[in-house]
Amino acid sequence: MDSSRLLIQAASGLERLMVGTKPGAIKDSNVAQISAFVYYQANVIAKLTTNTQFQNKFRKTIFDQINKDFPDYIDALARSKPKSLHHVYEWNKTGNEGFRLFKLKQISQQGLSFKLDYELLLSKSAVPNTKSKKKFIFAKKASVMEAGMPIRISPRSAERLVFEFGGTTVFMPKGASVVVKSPGGRASTNQFKLAYSRFFSGQLVNESIKRSGFQNIFNAGIGRALKVPTEIRKVQYTFSPGRIRSEADMALASSFGGSL
Amino acid sequence: MTINYKLDAINEVRKFLWSELVTNKIFNETEYYSDNVATTIIPIIPVQQSPELNQFLSGKKHIVYDKINSSYEDNWLICNEQFMFTIYSVDISEINEIRNFMLDLFRRMDESARDMNAYPQISDKFKFHTIYIADITPTTPSEELQGFLSADVVLQVKYSRHITPNGRFN
Repeated sequence: MDSSRLLIQAASGLERLMVGTKPGAIKDSNVAQISAFVYYQANVIAKLTTNTQFQNKFRKTIFDQINKDFPDYIDALARSKPKSLHHVYEWNKTGNEGFRLFKLKQISQQGLSFKLDYELLLSKSAVPNTKSKKKFIFAKKASVMEAGMPIRISPRSAERLVFEFGGTTVFMPKGASVVVKSPGGRASTNQFKLAYSRFFSGQLVNESIKRSGFQNIFNAGIGRALKVPTEIRKVQYTFSPGRIRSEADMALASSFGGSL
Repeated sequence: MTINYKLDAINEVRKFLWSELVTNKIFNETEYYSDNVATTIIPIIPVQQSPELNQFLSGKKHIVYDKINSSYEDNWLICNEQFMFTIYSVDISEINEIRNFMLDLFRRMDESARDMNAYPQISDKFKFHTIYIADITPTTPSEELQGFLSADVVLQVKYSRHITPNGRFN
């Protein structure tokens, strides 16, 4: 049994102490009120980890920071090692944040945890070409180069391929195609995946989580939610457990709902 | 008074690192003397200048650095930055030596920051709070520089810049 359920079960023992004593007996509000206090706070704490608003805010806060830090890390790596990571940027924009061809995405969420993966995006800019005015977009640049897949280039509208190689112009036979064994250079194969693993298996992701400031948000939120509502602070001889539970739910929703 | 916006924490870290590397005889300044410019070129270079210095640094151990990110949190006085240093050498033992030295120098949080603050050539406009190692990678053959090996060291640095009473840079 998880600890939040245990806490709820233990706190339920207080319910009978919150109900007023029989008519005629000496009434003492202290026991009922203290019990209501403890019951309320136990409910807030127990329901915290299952509260949807809290879970959403927790995940969003951490994901947003990772989603900033990881691309920054890749940008810096790409500037230092352009041969390895040029393929995850638009042409001639290596390390430039506005031209990334990758993005992080959450692939599943459960409770306070979430799983991440990355996606290599399609290139939208034309392959640099100073010899011809024709534009060609190598859309799957990032994924093909990352996988180190060979590509076959065949003439589509022209009758033959003409290109420069080693300073000389090569005229291919009519209709013949060429195969580029490693379009991004061998240095780029699997390099994004390697950088991704390095970030997420090392200390960098922990740094990112720390920098997200989720602890501050958590502390401020839980502090607000634990503040006992006025209704319970009033001197009464009977408290409704159902109402206190609702108050706990509302306090959590108001502390962790809304935007950051 | 004119405020010097050219000051940057990463340059101060670089100054300190170079001084410590020379003092500990890990680098020999004379090997980096350039006859062309008649001065010693500090072989800790920003990534943006790496292509220009490739020829000069050919075969010599050197370090290329870049800033990964920089952020101010709710406490806007304290800046939190990550710097990446890529160590290049043709000799694996030299990379290991520099990497271990940087680990020793920068892993001690506020103690490392204290050493930085005490270093006389650091600008008095900065106060470093903590420095520690966020990441170190294994040494691998470099894809960028043929024949070289390389390893990365990422530093996490928290610092403040001295400010005026209204919170602007001093």
